[in-house]
Amino acid sequence: MDAVSNSEKQSILSFAVETLNEMTSDWDNEYDEPIGPKTKLIGDLAFESIDVVQLIVAIEEEFQSRSLSFEQLLMKDGRYVDEIVVEELVEFLDSQLNTA
Amino acid sequence: MEENLLKHYKYNPTILLGVDGATFHILDYLIAEGMMPNMSRFMDGGVRAELLSTRHPLTPPAWTTLMTGREPGNHGIFDFIWAERRDQEVYFTLNNFRDIQVETVWSMVSRAGGRATTLNYPLMAPPPEINGTIIPGLVSWKHLRRSIHPKDLYDRLKELPGFNPKEVAWDFDREKKATKVIPREEIKSWVEHHLRREQQWYQIFEYLQSNRPSDLTGILLDGVDKLQHICWRHLDPDCSATVADDFDREVQQLALQYFKDLDKFFGYVMDTARDQMRIFVASDHGFGPTEKVFRVNEWLSEKGYLKWTDTENLSKDERKKLEYMANNHFVHLDWDNTIAYAQSSATNGIHIQVQSAPGEPGISPNEYEDFCTRLCDELLAIEDPATGTRVVTEVLRREEAFPGAKNDRCPDLTLKLFDHGFISTLRKQPILWDRPEVAGTHQPEGIFMAYGPGIKRGVRLELQSISDITPTLLHSLGMEIPSNLEGKVMASAFASDYMEKYPVRFGEPTIQPDSYALQDQKPELSEDEQESIMDQLRALGYVE
Repeated sequence: MDAVSNSEKQSILSFAVETLNEMTSDWDNEYDEPIGPKTKLIGDLAFESIDVVQLIVAIEEEFQSRSLSFEQLLMKDGRYVDEIVVEELVEFLDSQLNTA
Repeated sequence: MEENLLKHYKYNPTILLGVDGATFHILDYLIAEGMMPNMSRFMDGGVRAELLSTRHPLTPPAWTTLMTGREPGNHGIFDFIWAERRDQEVYFTLNNFRDIQVETVWSMVSRAGGRATTLNYPLMAPPPEINGTIIPGLVSWKHLRRSIHPKDLYDRLKELPGFNPKEVAWDFDREKKATKVIPREEIKSWVEHHLRREQQWYQIFEYLQSNRPSDLTGILLDGVDKLQHICWRHLDPDCSATVADDFDREVQQLALQYFKDLDKFFGYVMDTARDQMRIFVASDHGFGPTEKVFRVNEWLSEKGYLKWTDTENLSKDERKKLEYMANNHFVHLDWDNTIAYAQSSATNGIHIQVQSAPGEPGISPNEYEDFCTRLCDELLAIEDPATGTRVVTEVLRREEAFPGAKNDRCPDLTLKLFDHGFISTLRKQPILWDRPEVAGTHQPEGIFMAYGPGIKRGVRLELQSISDITPTLLHSLGMEIPSNLEGKVMASAFASDYMEKYPVRFGEPTIQPDSYALQDQKPELSEDEQESIMDQLRALGYVE
């Protein structure tokens, strides 16, 4: 995926990083790198599936919508993905919000 | 000289102590045994009544009715989950605040310029913006920080001595175990967990009363429900003969300690209210014993109304997965050949598939009434082979159980069983199963009590309704009652001179919550996510 570049994506990235920092700040994770575009939700932040659901709720609250097609982020070739990288999340939100 | 507490408040300060599943059957016994002196003082100095729950006495619809003054058919909450069938699968998600379709009492107070605090009440996440404090219930510790309003409160709570978010919030792994038969050696640690958990909530309540006082402060203590589900026979004097060995007696002492601690908390609240605040106590439902389980989907299968998925042509792996699912879900139904099914043990409900077009699975719309009538008759005719008594004592149609404008998500039929037990949705025999030990289950009659200035003293009232709590709290606060509430002010709880001086005043109807506009669509969940949610629901004790 191309590097997050334009200002709209930067804004979404800032929201995502802020949300993830807040969400995981009490989780006692061993991951001590700053959260950024390359951070893996499952591999680095130890997300469980219910945490993904909570992240979706947070995103819906931020963007005031319950109609974003999260299955496009969560499914690839008919299977649920094993990993979500922050920049994939940003790309997904950027495309969804620009087509909503 | 006694400080005038009222100067700190815009409205008459009012406290709501929610005690999940509390029943006078247990409380009166413990009072008589001298174990709850403060509860006794409360009853002697105030009023008490049995409180009739929602038509199906279940935590989410009942607490939501209590918090809104609206019946489930209008607030739209019938279960912990919201489920929708799509093709051959059923998609589940947990209900949350955005699914409540009417205004809550916390919002009503806030909108009128007052402050409201709500602690551990379900469905209060994601938290709405109110003037006050929200720490919701049924939230994992991992998401507690984000679920608290205002956001900076979490860090201040962390400074409280001994504050432990893993104890304050819902421990899904621990509670999941509790829905099955808890290994004997784990029962004590499970009760001890709830002893510690409630201490956390008592501390938070005390901190907020001192540092962020609100006109309306509500706290929900749910350990009563948890203990009574598992330890009913240890608490019910009618089951005392089953508490036969040292281990049982140790469990009993721990369970009794919970109620002694609860009593101390009542004493603290009464003392700090200093006869200047009114205190209301309510439970979402009552409690009683249950000895049998009715496996309704198996019964529907035998009647030919439900067909389980055919397993003969599956691979070994697929069959293994299906066997696991069959023990944990109801969802593997042959939808093309199923007319009626129960999707959740929590609701005691049966859903009927009605064809959306000719040739679709289910019954045609013009067959619906006749089919419902036949199914009701057949359900009411089921007898317990051991006793000859009826298993299903009442079957409520949708409009009987949950009348209102938002009842499209509720079951077509709601069953009342002979012991008020919950149904089972599993593919298991026998259809009527004897539990190995007596367990606790919900009963329709919970508790209501009130204490403080303007409240009658030492009076037993007739049966009250859970929908009356919100208007009664608003009247206590000195606010107008919105004209569209279904509940009524419990005028009989107040002294006659108080009611003459402060008659009930009606005002503008409530408004739609801001979140209402976001109720357009739910995200689909992966199989793993559904499984995780189902784990949470099992942890709550209402999905198998």
